Amino acid sequence: METDVAVRQAVYRHFVSTGAAPTVASLASTLGLTTRDIAAALQRLFERRVLVLSPDGDQILMAPPFSGIPTQHRVLTGGREYFANCAWDALGVLAALQQDGLIRSRCEQTGEPLDIPVHATGPESIPCTVHFAVPAALWWRDIVFT
Amino acid sequence: MLFFRSEERVNEWCQANGLPRRPLVTLTQLWRLSVAWYANRLTPEARRPAPSEMASIFTSIGLNGPFWDPQADEFR
Repeated sequence: METDVAVRQAVYRHFVSTGAAPTVASLASTLGLTTRDIAAALQRLFERRVLVLSPDGDQILMAPPFSGIPTQHRVLTGGREYFANCAWDALGVLAALQQDGLIRSRCEQTGEPLDIPVHATGPESIPCTVHFAVPAALWWRDIVFT
Repeated sequence: MLFFRSEERVNEWCQANGLPRRPLVTLTQLWRLSVAWYANRLTPEARRPAPSEMASIFTSIGLNGPFWDPQADEFR
């Protein structure tokens, strides 16, 4: 659906330019649509697993790899700061933007800061590993936990 | 998916949280996964990989077995 593509692209443009999720009202203003049209499009995008919304549908929690809420995975690039949903998405932000950057996260067990410089060729080699707690078949059963 | 300083820290975290120890992925593997998944995410044509495409991506970077199979019955 044409409206859904337009809304999806506007959501991502907003994340890229501000580091934050757009509101329903700001999307309506940007696209010249009603808030009801925007809410319906967001719901369809949620059902197609393009976005993750809050339970009341009013807030965009995730437009993978971007997070609409602060997390422990911060990505610094191009003079902006982004939040990512998980370790994978932290690298995913830089892959999507196709920019060098710095991931500022932490060791989940100790809380020790983990800074990972990332270049076009990939991340620098630092002592670090990534644990996938949820099997692929279950990722969308609870995507926030995943 | 969470970062840890080492495998030992992963084991401690799993034990402390009563969670099973699952596969570990290197930063290099995760980068390849990220590029395959997200490199075109900002384009109008972007879409999530289909389950068969997901399985191919995992296999191509050495992530094999039912844990990485989006249609695996044993985890449903």
